[in-house]
Amino acid sequence: MESITRRELLKRTAALAVGSSLLLNRPVTAWANEKEATSKVVLIRNQKLFANGSSPDLAICEQMLDEAVRTLTGKEDTAAAWASIIKPNDVVGIKTNAWNSLPTPPELNDILKARVQNAGVKEEDVSVDDRGVKTNPVFQRSTALINIRPMRTHAWSGVGSLIKNYIMFAAKPSDYHDDSCAPLATLYELPAVKGKSRLHVLVLFTPQFHHLAASTFSEEFTWKYSGLAVGFDPVAVDSVGLRIIEAKRREYFREERPLNPPAKHIALADTRYHLGTSEPSRIELVKLGWDADTYV
Amino acid sequence: MTNVLYNVLHLPVGLFSENPYRTTTMRDNICLFVILLFCYSCPSVYIHAQKVNLMNQLPEQYQSYKATEWLDFTGEALYDYINGGAELYLSYGLNGMTGCKYNGEGLPQITVEVYEMTAPKNAFGVYTQSRDKEESDYGQGSQTYDDFILFWKDRYFVIVTTQKATPESRDALRYLASLVEKAIPGEGEIPALVGELPEENRVPGGYLYFHHYIWLNAYLFIADYNIADISDQTDALLAKYGDADARCYLLLVQYPDKAGAEAAGEKLKSKFAPELSPANPVIRLEDNTWFTLRVKENKLSAVFNGNSREQVENLYQSIYK
Repeated sequence: MESITRRELLKRTAALAVGSSLLLNRPVTAWANEKEATSKVVLIRNQKLFANGSSPDLAICEQMLDEAVRTLTGKEDTAAAWASIIKPNDVVGIKTNAWNSLPTPPELNDILKARVQNAGVKEEDVSVDDRGVKTNPVFQRSTALINIRPMRTHAWSGVGSLIKNYIMFAAKPSDYHDDSCAPLATLYELPAVKGKSRLHVLVLFTPQFHHLAASTFSEEFTWKYSGLAVGFDPVAVDSVGLRIIEAKRREYFREERPLNPPAKHIALADTRYHLGTSEPSRIELVKLGWDADTYV
Repeated sequence: MTNVLYNVLHLPVGLFSENPYRTTTMRDNICLFVILLFCYSCPSVYIHAQKVNLMNQLPEQYQSYKATEWLDFTGEALYDYINGGAELYLSYGLNGMTGCKYNGEGLPQITVEVYEMTAPKNAFGVYTQSRDKEESDYGQGSQTYDDFILFWKDRYFVIVTTQKATPESRDALRYLASLVEKAIPGEGEIPALVGELPEENRVPGGYLYFHHYIWLNAYLFIADYNIADISDQTDALLAKYGDADARCYLLLVQYPDKAGAEAAGEKLKSKFAPELSPANPVIRLEDNTWFTLRVKENKLSAVFNGNSREQVENLYQSIYK
């Protein structure tokens, strides 16, 4: 991937006769490569997810996740869908995210664990963890990983993404911080991770689209999007989530307000590290459920 | 070590007071004076002592809240606390972070974080990264939300945050923020370059001070690499002008010398607008916006996204009025 400037984007945009503002403040698109491969992402939303208060409705969480996985796998039956993802002899680590202010909802961790066990995996062979993955015995002997986390803006990587969620497998996470976390996709080459990812779930229940400083959190900068994005390609799922965050920022600020710094690690995961697909035109996005203000 | 330094720096009161077990001699006093002179003249010791003093200002208890975890991180150890978020502070220059977590039965947790930057300009820089509006309820500039208060004062950037905004937690936020503010005795200078930003049509609170290239893209995407040679040796400002639907941006960078500014100007020109020339100093780009880039003495200024040649030229000229 070559380095890129605003001017180069302008020239490309002019050549493509595409609306300029979106591309200019979303250089992810310009960084993307031009290969033909496509990735499927299922985006499912339910307007009633928070009908009973601030916690998501458990039954709706189950329905959303099951329908998304069935659609992703092309199976009509939930058990069959999971059977195509997890085998009974697998040892499964569910890599969650425990960030205090916006963790993976525990309901989703529990549902995933139950679905893995329903697929025949013994209880002692499945574990949910975040910061302890390097020393967790189940993760240490894992044959399969399920990656789940909420998306939020981040002070150095642009967004906290599925790609970034494997940072806890690194011996020294700061080794991946160079150039605003550009090399995050190389986490997928770590022995504890390589070839093990079976499913990626980006939680978009209440995404965080803005923050101040590095460790603040305000509900004012979240909204009830009530969605899940699910896929086999973490880059494609992150790319969809990123577009949603960026669209919300445009709506909220009423002007272009690019992520600071830009979430370049998502596009670079495609163009430099070939982990997956970031270019929207090469993502087969299947949208299910509530369709108001979907943003993608 | 922290406690030792703290004790040493608080020795004057203890040692010069009456001691029932020995008499202080003139030689003792001279030795002590030399030790204290050394300690107070050594910046790192002085800084550390002030940090310790700030910690001492935080209460063990407030209302139903009790201090449950004291925080003290320096350098890369901050990664253990906020992982990649630490880079924001490290990119400006950080001595360390101290603070405390408060918990109470049935109450949302409150966290106080005091980031001690290497210089006031760096605390100011982090603050300019962290503001959406103009406020100064605390320190030299602050932002108050239901869930958190942040402010800068002297070389400190302070965040007081709660897991959930409730009447009790909001009250505690305000109390703790005021306490830390009062514990910081001095004020820091804003970088002089800020005074050179034209004020007319500038968006309130709409400028950023930095000296790491990553922040060049804060308001609009400019380049994904260090296209303007921004470093710890430079002061850089990015400012917004005009209404949201007709916004333009001024980049103003001060280099250590004229040669540095000229080299950076050449680099930016060659990568961004090679057609610029003394005869053609303002050009129209492919999206019909106007752009200029000039170097004067040791400063580089560039205007992006201008709506007209006149607007760009006027904004540039107003820097040097």
